[in-house]
Amino acid sequence: MSEVSSTVFVVDDDTAVCRALTRLIRSAGYCVESFESAHEFMECRPYFKDCACLVLDVGLPDINGLELQNELNAANSALPIIFITGDSDIATTVRAMKAGATDFLAKPVSDSELLPAIENALRVSSQALANRTELDGIHGRMARLTPREREVLALLVEGRPNKQVACKLGIAEKTIKVHRARVMEKMEAHSLVDLVRVIDKVGTPLAHGQRA
Amino acid sequence: MTALSATAALTVLIVVLIVLQFRRMQTSMPTDGLPVDAELSAQRYNNYAFAAADEAADLEQPAKAVADQTNIRRSAGFRPTRSSGRHIVHTHLAMLSRRRFRRTSLEDKLQPCHVTSRKEPDDGSGTAARQPRHDERFGATLDLLPLAILVADPQGKTLFANAAAEKLFGYSRGELIGVAVGELVPALPLNVGGADLALGSREADGHRDLVAKRRDGTEFPAEVAINPVSWESETCTLTIVIDRTERYELLRNRQQLAHLTRVSTLGELAGSLAHELNQPLTAILSNAQAAQRFLATEPVNPGEVREILHDLVDDTHRASEVIRKIRALVKKGDLEAAPLSVASVIRDVALLVHSDAIVRGIRMRVAVTPELPPVRGDKVQLQQVVLNLLLNAFDALEARPALDREVDIAVTLEAGDTIRVAVRDSGSGLAGNTFDKMFLPFFTSKRDGLGLGLSISRSIVEMHGGCIWAENNEDHGATFYFTLPTGAGATRSVPGRHP
Repeated sequence: MSEVSSTVFVVDDDTAVCRALTRLIRSAGYCVESFESAHEFMECRPYFKDCACLVLDVGLPDINGLELQNELNAANSALPIIFITGDSDIATTVRAMKAGATDFLAKPVSDSELLPAIENALRVSSQALANRTELDGIHGRMARLTPREREVLALLVEGRPNKQVACKLGIAEKTIKVHRARVMEKMEAHSLVDLVRVIDKVGTPLAHGQRA
Repeated sequence: MTALSATAALTVLIVVLIVLQFRRMQTSMPTDGLPVDAELSAQRYNNYAFAAADEAADLEQPAKAVADQTNIRRSAGFRPTRSSGRHIVHTHLAMLSRRRFRRTSLEDKLQPCHVTSRKEPDDGSGTAARQPRHDERFGATLDLLPLAILVADPQGKTLFANAAAEKLFGYSRGELIGVAVGELVPALPLNVGGADLALGSREADGHRDLVAKRRDGTEFPAEVAINPVSWESETCTLTIVIDRTERYELLRNRQQLAHLTRVSTLGELAGSLAHELNQPLTAILSNAQAAQRFLATEPVNPGEVREILHDLVDDTHRASEVIRKIRALVKKGDLEAAPLSVASVIRDVALLVHSDAIVRGIRMRVAVTPELPPVRGDKVQLQQVVLNLLLNAFDALEARPALDREVDIAVTLEAGDTIRVAVRDSGSGLAGNTFDKMFLPFFTSKRDGLGLGLSISRSIVEMHGGCIWAENNEDHGATFYFTLPTGAGATRSVPGRHP
């Protein structure tokens, strides 16, 4: 039903609810880890390398579910959150959804709502994971470029012909051709269009150049 | 008897003649102080025949005269004055009054007790002759009391009923005589003979709350006390019936008020109570659906399903427990005085406000001294007190930063026989001028408070023989205390029931 590496985290202060939710999610074939408080979850916070999502109760005794969401957002985590709550009000729901929750479900929650929500959240997670992997790859490849190659790259993706690039950088067009071939090779791009698409994903290459 | 009556009539006639003579003398000699006094008194006090009858009896008047006097007084229906020491004047007064009221007294239906009184002297001996006078005076005294009094023979038939009894039970004059006391107060044991009510075995607290029946069949709550009396040389029973309709009305009003505040308090808690119910329901639904899924996949793991079923049972119990507690608080019931554990009262309330505390970000701690003796009281009412104090404490914490919101409940045994409950909050404490007012009805410091919670709490605690007070804490916040005496007759509670 799902990938082996998918993990669902459940945080609910009510032991009985926590056990039941864990069971239900496990019955759908997911790997489940449950926590009874936000602190407990944050303490042994798993590195969200794998595809995962969080089923979070809004009314927790230590930190409120929404606060935990903010903390996770601040830590730049891509973990999708499904909120479950016993007494949902519109304000809380809107706040949670604006802050990026994938779903907001009312207790008692039925499997017909929860399991599709989890499936969706995991899809979001795996997509985010794939994006991140891709970006990491691009960054890795860009790191191999020399400063001059980076300059050439920046002008190339602006759509300038070799002649203009040579003029702008004040070097021979022939040298630009060599740099261009190197850039294409290092960035593993097969065509200029391919290169532009890759660079588009990470923003301006110059910015990355400065960072590196 | 006829001879005696004739003698009595003759005596009366003689005395009347003397008095008439006396009056003539007095009109001719106005300087004589005593007769003037007598005349004035006759004018002013001629209604106070009872006092005169009394004096007449003292002067060994014949029984007939006494009987007549009593009847006169009955028809007159006035209260006596016994302040006067003027024997002679009063004797005359008695004569005058009797004459004045004779017509009424003759019309008056003779009551059996009077008949027997007049019969009494036939027995002969001097002591027997003194006895009826005693009963007569006794009966006459009873007649004046504002309480309904019935004197019944050992068979339970009414020998005497005073005016208040006739009024209370709706019978007209004399009709009560011969009516079985059991008919008036049905729950009363019929054989209240001298045997079980011998003078020595009288209980100190002989009052019983029973239902009494009027002539028209309507019932009313009454406090009934039965005492053995000696009436006409027989051991009879004297039953005092006090109409308690008003007191019950008052009690019922107070109970209704307590119930109303309880319900409105629960209304405030409705949101968190719904959450409290929702939790087990969530667990039940998820568990059941998990079981369905586990059963649908091969191979079925029976251990897993067994575990789920076990949890299902637990969660169902938990949900029904919440409902039971809500219903217990909402129900309209009579007060019960049963031995109960303060710890369980506090635990029940803590369960009800648990969610409310979480929503408000309050940490609630309960510390109960183990092995506390039980107290006697009404569980619902005591829960109401605890609920009220806890919600007040929660309200007091509203303005505090989230980390400082703490409520501590401590139950301790004080001075060996008193249980003290302390509800301590870490709020901003009580203003100096609220201490003397906060237990008064309609005093509130809350924006939308009714001002009834603490006043009702106080009446409940005091009804249980305890007291309630508040103190500001040394650091911050306030602590409300209430005490409850431990039931002397109650058995020691089961240790397992304590946390």
